[in-house]
Parts: sequence; C-alpha cells; structure tokens
Amino acid sequence: MSKIICSAAIRGAHNIVDKAEQKYQEALDKWGPDHAVGFPNTAYYLPIIYGILGVPVSKLGDVRPVLEKCRSLLPPLVSEKVWLPYLAPTLEAGMATFFAEEIIEAIRYLEYPDFYTKQEDPIGGNIWLGAADDIILRKRGVEFVDGTAPGFAAILGAPPTKEIAAEIAKELQEKNLYVFMCAENNGVRMSEQLVEAGVQIGWPTRLVSFGSDYTATVFAMGFATRAAMSFGGIKPGDFRGNLLYNKNRIFAFAMPLGPVSDEWYANAAGAINWGFPVIADTPIPEILPTGICTYEHVVSNVPHSEIVQRAVEVRGLKVTVSKIDIPVSYGPAFEGERIRKDDLYLECGGGKTKAVELTVSRDMDEVEDGHVEMIGPDLDQIKDGSKLPFAMLIEVAGRQRQEDFEPILERQIHHLVNYAEGIMHIGQRAIMWLRVGKAAVEKGFRLKHLGTIMHAKYHQEFGAICDKVQVKIYTEEAKVDEVLALARKIYAARDKRVDRMTDETEETFYSCTLCQSFAPSHVCIITPERTGMCGAYNWLDGKASYEINPTGPNQPIVKGECIDPVLGKWKGTDEFIFKASRQKFQTASAYSLVHDPMTACGCFECIATILPLCNGVMIVNRDYLGMTPCGMKFTTLAGMVGGGEVTPGFLGVSKHYIASRKFLLAEGGLKRVVWMPQMLKKELEAKLKSRGEELGIPNLFDIIADDTKGATEEEILPFLEEVGHPALTMESIL
Amino acid sequence: MALEIPKVSYSGKIREIVLGKGDKAITVGGGTSYPFYLFEGQMPLKPRIAMEVYDSPPDDWAPTALEPFADVAGDPVAWAKKCIDTYGAEMIALQLVSTDPNGENRSAEEAAALTKKVAEAVDVPLIVWGCNNAEKDTEVLKKIAEDCAGRSLMIGPVTEANYKQVGAVAIGYEHTVIASTPIDINLAKQLNILLGNLGVPDGRILIDPTTGALGYGLEYGYSVMERIRMAALTQEDERLQFPMVCNLGKEVWKTKEAKQSRDEAPKLGDPAKRGVLMEAITAQLVLAAGADILIMRHPESIALIQDMLNDLLAA
Repeated sequence: MSKIICSAAIRGAHNIVDKAEQKYQEALDKWGPDHAVGFPNTAYYLPIIYGILGVPVSKLGDVRPVLEKCRSLLPPLVSEKVWLPYLAPTLEAGMATFFAEEIIEAIRYLEYPDFYTKQEDPIGGNIWLGAADDIILRKRGVEFVDGTAPGFAAILGAPPTKEIAAEIAKELQEKNLYVFMCAENNGVRMSEQLVEAGVQIGWPTRLVSFGSDYTATVFAMGFATRAAMSFGGIKPGDFRGNLLYNKNRIFAFAMPLGPVSDEWYANAAGAINWGFPVIADTPIPEILPTGICTYEHVVSNVPHSEIVQRAVEVRGLKVTVSKIDIPVSYGPAFEGERIRKDDLYLECGGGKTKAVELTVSRDMDEVEDGHVEMIGPDLDQIKDGSKLPFAMLIEVAGRQRQEDFEPILERQIHHLVNYAEGIMHIGQRAIMWLRVGKAAVEKGFRLKHLGTIMHAKYHQEFGAICDKVQVKIYTEEAKVDEVLALARKIYAARDKRVDRMTDETEETFYSCTLCQSFAPSHVCIITPERTGMCGAYNWLDGKASYEINPTGPNQPIVKGECIDPVLGKWKGTDEFIFKASRQKFQTASAYSLVHDPMTACGCFECIATILPLCNGVMIVNRDYLGMTPCGMKFTTLAGMVGGGEVTPGFLGVSKHYIASRKFLLAEGGLKRVVWMPQMLKKELEAKLKSRGEELGIPNLFDIIADDTKGATEEEILPFLEEVGHPALTMESIL
Repeated sequence: MALEIPKVSYSGKIREIVLGKGDKAITVGGGTSYPFYLFEGQMPLKPRIAMEVYDSPPDDWAPTALEPFADVAGDPVAWAKKCIDTYGAEMIALQLVSTDPNGENRSAEEAAALTKKVAEAVDVPLIVWGCNNAEKDTEVLKKIAEDCAGRSLMIGPVTEANYKQVGAVAIGYEHTVIASTPIDINLAKQLNILLGNLGVPDGRILIDPTTGALGYGLEYGYSVMERIRMAALTQEDERLQFPMVCNLGKEVWKTKEAKQSRDEAPKLGDPAKRGVLMEAITAQLVLAAGADILIMRHPESIALIQDMLNDLLAA
C-alpha cells in the first residue's frame, strides 16, 4: 500500500479519534454516563460499532470502551525513515475512524436534536437526512438484496460545478445506484449543488444527502453494516462475516471529489475494509493490486466524464439492460419468421453479397460499452429491394472474459437477431444471410438496431462473462473486406485451438444433467473430444454455461486420476456419476459402447450399435426413417436406449463425436464402423475422409456401407468382404 | 433362521420448519424415513392441511365444492373464519386468483389490504398464493410481505423468475417462501440453492414440486416428489431436505370430471361424491409421496384425509 496514503490515513484517523474523545468528554460532563445515546429508530445501536465489535452502545457510558478499542487499533504515526508493510495497520486505522465518527455523530444527535431531518426527504431548508432508520433500511435494503439497487456510491466533497454534479448523479441513478453524499470540498457540498441545479434529492430519488460533514460517511457504512445483519443473517460482532457480505454483495464504492484530506484518507481506508474501492478525481497515489477489494483499491485522477463508468468497472458491477430499445417487437415468437421475396427490403449475404459476423474479446479499455456505430449506408439511405455487403463486428470486454467464449457468444447472434420481428437471419460466420422486411423498415427499424439488440442481449444473457459490449456495423465494401480478413484469421485460430484440445490436455470436464427432468438417472460427461450426445453442447459450451449459471445443469468435473485411458474412465468422473445419478450408476466409459457405456437421455443425434455378423458397428441418425441392419428403425432403437438407462451394446452419440479421435476408442474407433445411412455419411464426408487418412485407411469413407448397399447385415456383409473392411479382421467385438 | 426384512438405511432428515406464530404455530417436517414407513424411521410431525380461501367469489365451481362456503363466498375474512370455526382448519391458504392480469387483474395494493385483513382475523398459519404469473406475483407478494411484516406468512409461488425480489422481501420482513418449480428435481434443488445464496434462511423454505390432479398428470409430480424424498433421505442431498407443499385443491376441482353434473356424465357416479373423492385420492397419493402440507378445498375430503392420517400414524 502506498506509503503516502498510509501516512495520511493514519494521521487522519488520529485526528478523528482525538476529536471523538473530546466530544465524548464534553458530552459526559454535560449529561453524565447514563444518558441515552444513539441513532433514531433503530435496533442496531450505533451500527458499525454494533456490527463489527458486537458492542451495543445505548448510553454515553458505553462509549468509553469503544474509544479504548479505537486507541488500541490506532497504529503509531508513520515515520519518515521506516518502511514497513502498512496495509493492516492502515485498515485498522480506518476501522477506528468509523467507530470514532459514529460516536461524533451520535453526540451530534444529543447536542443538536434537529440537525438532521430524520426522515426520507429534506424538510424546508434542511437537506441533511442523517442516519437511515430501520424502516428505511428494510425498504431500501430489500433493493440491495434483489438487485434492483446493486449498491451505492459514497461521495465525499463535490465536483467543480453544479452541472457536473447533476451529470454524475444522473449517471449513477441510471446504473440504479444509491448516491450517499457528505463532506465539503472548499465549502461546496454535492447535495447543495444538486438542489441548486434543481435536482430533487432524498431517499425516493436515491440521492441521499446524509450530512454536511465528512463524519457522515458512517451513515453510508452503517447502512451497509446493518444490511448485512438484517438481510445476511450476520450476527453482531461477526466482523469477518459482515465485511465479506459487503464485499461480495453490496456493490459500493467511495468517490472523493476534490482534494483528499487526511481525514478523507482515513475514511477511504475504512471503506476498503468493506471491500469498497476508492475512485478519486484528484491525482492521489493509486493502489492497483487486488487484495481486500475484488479488483483495484484506489484509482485516481479520473475525469468527471468517465468517473462513473470507471467506478462501475473497478467495483465489478454488472450492467443491467432491462429494455431493448428498438421499434419492432422482439421475442422468441419471431424466431422462425421468414421474409419472402415480395416483402424483402434489404438482403445481405446468403451468397448474394459478402457478409460476415464476428464476436471478439478486447481489453476493458478498448471497448466503450453501449457504443453502436453504423459505417456505410443504413436502411433509410437505400432503395427498397437493395443488396448490400454486410459486416457486424461485436467487441466485448469483461473481467471474466476468455477467448474461448467468443465462438459461443458469436453463435448467439443467429437467434438473438432472429427474435426481432421482420428480420430473418440464417447461418453464421462468413456464411451468414440476413433479410430485412419492408414492414420492419416502415416501423423505423435500421441496421444500427442490430447493434442495440446485441448490446442488450449480451448483457442480459451473458452478463457473467461480458461487462462491456460495443458493436460496429459496416455496409461499405472495403470495410467489410477488412472485417472478413480479420474474421478469417480468427476463425482459423479458433478452429485450430479446438482441434488441439484433447481429453488429455484438459483437467476439467463438464457434466450435463439438463435432461434429468425426463431421464432421471442420466448424466452426460462432456469432454473436449466427446461432445454431448445431443450435439448441442460441446466442452466449451459446458464451460461457458457454468460461468453464466454456476448452479445450473453443467457442472465442472475435475477428471482426476485416469482409471482406463482406452475405455475413458477417470476417478473424478466416476465419483460425479455416482452422485449425480443419485447412486444409480457407479461408473461410465466415455469411449466405449460395450463396457459400461454412458447413459443416454433421449436427445441423442445418432445411435450406435453392434452388428455381430459384421463384427462392426452401425450408426443411425435421427433423421433417417428407414430400416437399419440391426433390424430396428431409429425410433425403436431410441425407445431402448434412452431414459437414463445403461444399455450395453447401444450408445447415443452426437454427429460431431463420430469424427473424434476418441470415438469408440475401446472398440477400435472409426474403423469399426460398417454402416451408416448415406445422408449421414454425406453430412460428415469431409471429416470422415480426413479421419480415414489419419488412420491410414484413405478409402475408409468409401468402404463404410450405407442404405444403398443394404438394410440387413446379410446384405451388407458381401460388400464389406469385397472391399476388405478392416472390421472383419479386427478382434471380436463381443 | 428367522426372516429378516431388509431395511432402507437413511442418512438424512427433513428439516423442521415452523409455520406461523404464537400458540397456533405449526411445525412440519422432521421425517427420518419414507412417508409412513414407521417401521424404518420416524415421522414425528403430522402432515398438515390448509383450507383454501378465495379472494373473490368463485363463479365456476362445482355445486358440491361451493355448497359449504355459499354463505361466505364473497367475504374472504368470513370464509377463513368459517374454515377455522366450523371445519377446524389448522391452516388457511389464501388464493389470490383475482390478481391475475388475464382475469380481474386486481392491484397489489388491494391484494395486500385483503391479505392483511385475513391475517388479522385468523390466528392459524396463513399461506398466501399468487396467481402464477411471475411478474404480477412479484409485485403482489412484495407488497404483501411489506404490509404484513413480521406475520410469518408462507408466500408463493416463488419461481426462478422472481426468487430474488420475493426472496429479498421474505428475508427483510420475515416470511417463509414456497419455492415452486415445474416437476423437476434438479430445478427444485437449484432454486433452493439460489434462495440460500440470496440469504433466505434454511428455516424458511418450503418446496412446491408442482402437483397435478388425479388423472391429470399426478403421476409425474408423484415421481418427482418420491425422488426428492429419496435424495433428501438416502443421498444426503441437503438442499432438498425441506418440507413439501401441494396446492392440490385448485387442481382437482378445476378438472372436467369434478365439475360435470349427473346429466353430463351419467357413468361417473354421484357428482356430490365424485369431486370429494378425487380430491381425497389425490391428497392421499401425494401424502404417500412425501407431502407435508396439503392445500385442500372440500371439508369432506379433508375429513377423509384426517381420518387416514390418524389411522396411519397411530402407533
């Protein structure tokens, strides 16, 4: 911690404790030790002292031991010559500061009973509200718990002008934050500036003018401390619990506006105990490493125009966007809507023009949240029936960002854009196809609104992984070409990354129990090389889904010690399966259809099963309605395999898994496959061919029989013999 | 050699939850075996029945269902009192159907004023059930929680869509939440985890697994309830060790069979008994699956179930 800050904070704390002692002595002389003292209408006494120390101060005499505690917490002043780690003593000085300030404020209530209005609003000329009573606490505290108000900004001092004050207040209100104000900057106070600017202050507008003095900071901190006791079930005196509750749940920060005095430093040091960072407009030293606070501790010299955004970032507050501001209806009902030729206003992509969509992650300072830019002609500048090149570049930034999540976010563009009424979207990446209908354009829809949609939806659905979103939409050929080139480079790198990821390189797999609602004992284990059998969830999806919804159906499984590399069994996965199947199954193989095959839900894309005569395996996909060589159609097979049961010899698989290097490893892999419907073979042609090459059987694709060769084992066996299918000479599959 | 009957070994216990306040407060839960398996464990606290009271006069009820309440149908306070004084109700469940935005769409303020009146008029534990529209329920239940602070109501249904808002007021104003999920053990568990993370104390959570009426999907709910109990008692799943509430009266009495007259359904027997028996059988089955609190309508079906409970629990 910065020595300058520490020295100042410790000096300030000494001053404040001295002042409290003096006030206490005066009060004691005047009223005696049995005189009642406290904040109005609260069951929490002096809340910081009560919450942190567990000491209920109700009469003047109770103050003495608290002051003694302050003294014992106060470190000696920092000497010029000694360099020590000052963090702990400074934090303790901050704590002593708050205890002392509560005492000062409590005595103020004795000395000047009408100093504060003691209610939600200013009364007449008195704008100072003082401590929130328990009714306000409960009513407002609920908003902190349910997230309607994520936290507060504790502002000390004032910005240079009333206009800036109003602007900062408005920005904080827009983020749904409470603004707790106190202290003066050169005789100017922000609460007064707001009144002058005609802004209504008081609890109902969330602009809370706590007090005129810096000691009123304790009303903000006391509010937070009581919230932890009232809503978090934290017991008085459980300081650790209280501070952690605030760090993890109350998104508050201190914002000193104006020169930072020793006393302000002391208050800031105190706030850091609660995990509340400090964002200042003056060039004080910064404390950037993470420790007590979630991210940085002190960030300084921030211009007023950026200070709210910066504060939100530093505290790690998530932006909530509740409404998507576009002129057409928006919802899943419009997802399947088609735009026919006659209704068409604009068409992009789909082979007609160049078109691409790309989501990339950037550093926090490279993205301006909510920035949507249209480069090139928009819908109001073109004629009905036009075609345009198109590129949508979505740049996201987040504290939890991971490049791995880019493709997952990007894949959402399809349905998120489709939800807009009058817009049709097909495909993805550089094969995307966009149609905008005439009706949408008449209602005022512009291409720019695609950016509005993506910004809002990324925040709403993926807030856990993106903090900032900006969108650029291009309809100028040259710019589109630039994005295309960038996209191609990124796609290649992504594909390579996924390709290189193996079950050996990753320590964590993901579960999927989404289907337990109808297949109660089903547990899917998703590994990098074995996607979920539904084809909808690969390993990265599992990872992202867990980040977004940590209590959801995709949980991380540390694979642990490998029990059998060929069957695909690990200690960690077995333990997980035992628990998640509610003790029905003890083990499952990731790579076998004969030995402890995995359970199947019912959503599998394909079913693999044994053809004993051919000593091989056949695979049939859901879309294939005909008879198969095992004597059953897909529907009959599905009835046998699904429902969360283990059926040795039968396995639900995804299409993608068929071309995996781990496909049925225990049975000999892809070269065991003797039959597939032609439609499935066609769909997987490129992948199957390249796997054949890899396996040293370049003609593997051609020697797998299909429905044109026969629909019974007897019919296909001669073909397999003729082409010399490797399965025939492999060891017996049974 | 004597025959030894194999026994299930239980490792869990259902949490005991106190409902309501004062002399008439009730504790439910506490079971250490499958329901009524008294040869394997204990069921120290009897399942309880809450009688339904509606916030507006019913207009489409079967005559059999309406008959006992015909004189109080427009007056929820009198209705609640009649349930207690005449039929010995040990709990009341106020069904706020009139708040439904697709129906009467009564405001949260009206609903809260009414709930307060009923809460003041009765001393037994009070369940307050919204209209199953998450958005409206949020508004209504928030207002009720605030206006009835400290009355220890049971409020629901609390769903994934509104658990934060309703959970927050339940914490702040000290009520119990009824965590409602659509017939799915994992969603039930997840909602309980989320409520816990939010800060709702474990002593103030009840599970509504969603109940269908006899012949209308009851078996699905039954299986899920069974599985919730198995997870809670034998698999140490502590986020499922909460008592379960079944809001079944409403479900049974809205079925076609419960409403049809003798002329409309000549082969279905005496309409005066039909609905009563359907309700009683539904209740009996969910009890066997593990229900701790039943919300029921007809005094006769309730009497049948009380009889059954007394028989089964007689040591």
